[in-house]
Amino acid sequence: MDRPLPQPDQDTEFFWEGLRRRELLIQHCDECGHWIHYPKPACPRCGGTRVKPKAVSGRGVVHTYTVTHNAVPGFEPPFAVVLVDLEEQKGLRLVSNLIGVPPGDVAIGTPVEVVFTDVAPDVVLPLFKVRET
Amino acid sequence: MRDVAIAGAGYSEIARAVDRSVGSLTLEACRNALSDAGLTSKDVDGIATYPGGHDSVSSFYVAEGLGLPKLNWFEDLFGWMPAGITPVIAAAEAVRAGHCETAIAFRTVKRNRTRPPGQGFGGRVGGDAQFRAPFGDVMTSQWLAMWARRHMHDFGTTEEHLGHIAITFREHASMNPVAPLRDNITIDDYFASKIITTPFRILDCDFPVDGGGAVVITTEERARDLPKSPVKYVAGVFASGPRPDWEQWDDLTHMASKYAAEALWRRTDITPQDVDVAEVYDGFSWTALCWMEDMGFCAKGDGGPFFARGDARVGGKLPTNTHGGSMSGGRLHAISHVIECVQQLRGECGARQVHGAKTGVVTAGGGIMAGAALLSRSE
Repeated sequence: MDRPLPQPDQDTEFFWEGLRRRELLIQHCDECGHWIHYPKPACPRCGGTRVKPKAVSGRGVVHTYTVTHNAVPGFEPPFAVVLVDLEEQKGLRLVSNLIGVPPGDVAIGTPVEVVFTDVAPDVVLPLFKVRET
Repeated sequence: MRDVAIAGAGYSEIARAVDRSVGSLTLEACRNALSDAGLTSKDVDGIATYPGGHDSVSSFYVAEGLGLPKLNWFEDLFGWMPAGITPVIAAAEAVRAGHCETAIAFRTVKRNRTRPPGQGFGGRVGGDAQFRAPFGDVMTSQWLAMWARRHMHDFGTTEEHLGHIAITFREHASMNPVAPLRDNITIDDYFASKIITTPFRILDCDFPVDGGGAVVITTEERARDLPKSPVKYVAGVFASGPRPDWEQWDDLTHMASKYAAEALWRRTDITPQDVDVAEVYDGFSWTALCWMEDMGFCAKGDGGPFFARGDARVGGKLPTNTHGGSMSGGRLHAISHVIECVQQLRGECGARQVHGAKTGVVTAGGGIMAGAALLSRSE
């Protein structure tokens, strides 16, 4: 079975649309400056509704991870799932996978950067690779 | 407001696979709880359940199945909730407030045999899952494994610590005649068991079974006239934190248990040091570890050593999951934790009895949602 693909809705379409243009967009609150993920029509910090997508650097650090040995649709076990803390804000996290790192070598604290990866004609995923510092 | 007590508790048949309907298991558990309380269905005017992901029957099913004369209160609790403790707290608060006089709270679990964990995702995925499933992140075990990994990083918790949780709960299950897994295990057995998603092995996971449990809740005044000694419901809470989301949660080394603990201890003069027995949710070994820390039963970061030292064993500092928990006693979604606490406080637990147990804590939920209740032996 193939990897599951996103089914965007009115609130999340910008994220996937941005990726198709090789841009990582995260919702940003114009009222308090908070970055918001997952996309919502209001800011969880201040309740403000003036929220709009804004490009981020795509740089971050591996916050935590798990190496999955169970069979999961579209993945050959073992494979690693990582949570990436984006550098724009503490705790602003994306679920992703690392390219070019064997599952056993994934480590907390690894600096990473986004790699726009085509997985279907209309879907680009924000995967990550190790960032040289 | 009235004082409330748990007057009866009962299980259905419990096994890895029971060839009976979820409704049949539910009614058996409810009848056993009523009989334990010395009451009949004619005495019941309230029902609550947590039907989970629509995998169990409703309050109305039970009202019909038991032939209740009428309902003055009922509640079916869906969504992200701390499992089997949810209806117990809801029913106890309904009795306390006077909405009903005697309520049944139940949870029944029937395993889904049509697909293994993580296999429900294919094609296009919406909601928050659109940000997880395309990366192979589809199982609750993966979400909590990532929390556990962060805890290991920050506090030095080890796989061996997690192994001692599995060993402790299995030892307790070996003394529980209704537990499905009763053979003791060693640390070698633990390390040899199949890895699911690191750091979790199969022995870190709860053990899926078919079965149900129910408790009967009434006023403490009424419970005193019944055959079994009543167990007082002192307080119960549900809680979550500022960002109730599996990835955006502020600190992955604390679960919502931190907030449930704060809310619970605020409601009473009883302190963590007064607790004689703890039945904490163990969907995974680390969930139990984090509950112990967040409830204040040990220092933050000392959860692993707490189990490795044997402090959680019957006879230890604070006996924990004395029935074997969900990991060895079967995944009954914490209704079994409630029933075990009641039976411990009544002194009915035989070889695994915590001598002189007067005060117990039950918790349920993990990650972003938590529920906790404080029970005590009525004097």
